[in-house]
Amino acid sequence: MNRDGSILRLLQLASPALPVGAYSYSEGLEELAERQLLTSKTDLERWIIQELTYGSISLEAATMVRCYYAADTQDWERLKYWNAWLTAARETEELRSQSLQMGQSLLRLFRDMELGREDSLPHSQTQLLTELKQGGCNFAVIYSLAAANWQINLRDALLGYLQSWATNLINAGIKLIPIGQTAGQLMLFELQPTLEQAAQKIRNLEDDDLNSCGWGLALASMAHETQYSRLFRS
Amino acid sequence: MYAVITVPLSSPSISPGWQGKLQLRYGCQDGTKVQYCRAQAPLKVQRPFYPEGPQVCHSVMLHTAGGVVGGDRLAIDVQLRPHSHVLLTTAAANKIYRSNGLEAQQDVLIHVEPDALLEWLPQETIVFNQAVYRQNLRVELSPGASWLGWEITRFGRSARNEQFVDGNWRSQTEVWQQGRPLWIDRQWLPGCLETWSSPHGLAGCPVVGSFAWVGQAVTADFVTQVRQLGAEPQGVGVTRLQQGLLCRYRGHSSLEARQWFTQVWNLIRSATWNRPACPPRVWQIF
Repeated sequence: MNRDGSILRLLQLASPALPVGAYSYSEGLEELAERQLLTSKTDLERWIIQELTYGSISLEAATMVRCYYAADTQDWERLKYWNAWLTAARETEELRSQSLQMGQSLLRLFRDMELGREDSLPHSQTQLLTELKQGGCNFAVIYSLAAANWQINLRDALLGYLQSWATNLINAGIKLIPIGQTAGQLMLFELQPTLEQAAQKIRNLEDDDLNSCGWGLALASMAHETQYSRLFRS
Repeated sequence: MYAVITVPLSSPSISPGWQGKLQLRYGCQDGTKVQYCRAQAPLKVQRPFYPEGPQVCHSVMLHTAGGVVGGDRLAIDVQLRPHSHVLLTTAAANKIYRSNGLEAQQDVLIHVEPDALLEWLPQETIVFNQAVYRQNLRVELSPGASWLGWEITRFGRSARNEQFVDGNWRSQTEVWQQGRPLWIDRQWLPGCLETWSSPHGLAGCPVVGSFAWVGQAVTADFVTQVRQLGAEPQGVGVTRLQQGLLCRYRGHSSLEARQWFTQVWNLIRSATWNRPACPPRVWQIF
């Protein structure tokens, strides 16, 4: 995949340095740390593995997969359907705001990048972007659109998505627990097989299988909405 | 080695299970009335009653077989014509027995027409260890219509120290309005020790509950008021939906869950329809 430069585009799209504010969200971890339910590297690793195995991140990533197919066939109605679906499926107001804020930031960035390219976007896509900008766009949705436009294959785009998500949670854990940078990097390294398995499973999920075991995350995030002193926005 | 024998479904040794059906239609003309009612065993519905006067029709659904076994398929279809106000509950706790290898399923389809309100407040469901169950509840809301509903589930027969560590439970609740999803809740509990005990799953709590009110925008102030009703803060949470409100409970007591939800229900009713909550009499036997 190197020859066409798609690896460079993937590295940029999935980079934790992408200016969409991911670092400011902990997805409930801050609340868990406050309640002493997240006190070690093992706690963090268990939480991330459970999220990947039957948690809400698999719904988000599965929506990304659906939107990637929609973008690939320029089926914009389909893409908008899944965008609305994901907005309605977010566990809490805070997690919904996170997804929409990050989506809006990436949308702006994507537009700026595409406007600078020689072969500009087709009219239908420009229209779509305007609609998404006005009506709200989830991060997973605009990520899929960028990945499809930049000819990053789906497998890589999905792995990148999950890896970037895991990196962000580990970084939040490093600050909250706290654990060292090296321990965090080791955890990310050890998570590779789990990320691979999750990606494979998520690609094969039928619409009816989009379910998640969500009480832990929902309650942590609901409590975080009123947490007294916070570093993170979720 | 044994030979593999395919047993046809019509064989008396394998029951295809109950195919229960319930169809209810309510309308409003000088108060809310049942316009149509058709039930197929094991589902039944009792005669409506009106503890709050003619505007609000209370109906009690019954499962006459006492519980749900693998292979059962229950379908409930409820339609509320414009301006009607209905409270639906169940006569007793529902039980989902250990599976015989087949999945049991319940499908509920609800249409709430303009300016009508459905309160869907069933009693708790007890899901036995090794049950394999799924339920789908889909609400179609017309403009100006509201749905509020709760779901209280106990995993395992806690009185016998049973834990839900084997089996599969799925519950999909969706509320749509004119082709747009307002709330999608896809809950799943794959039975295993990890989902049972970890803080990511049940954290060792056998009872979970969700209470949602969908159809109207809710202010941040109202969410704060609901939060102030909260029971012990560890196991409960409140958040805002796109067009409504959501409360979650994770704890040990279905009664505690129902009491908290009833307080929230009372607040919503008083603030929105100027009418206090009216708990049906069938709940009081517990």
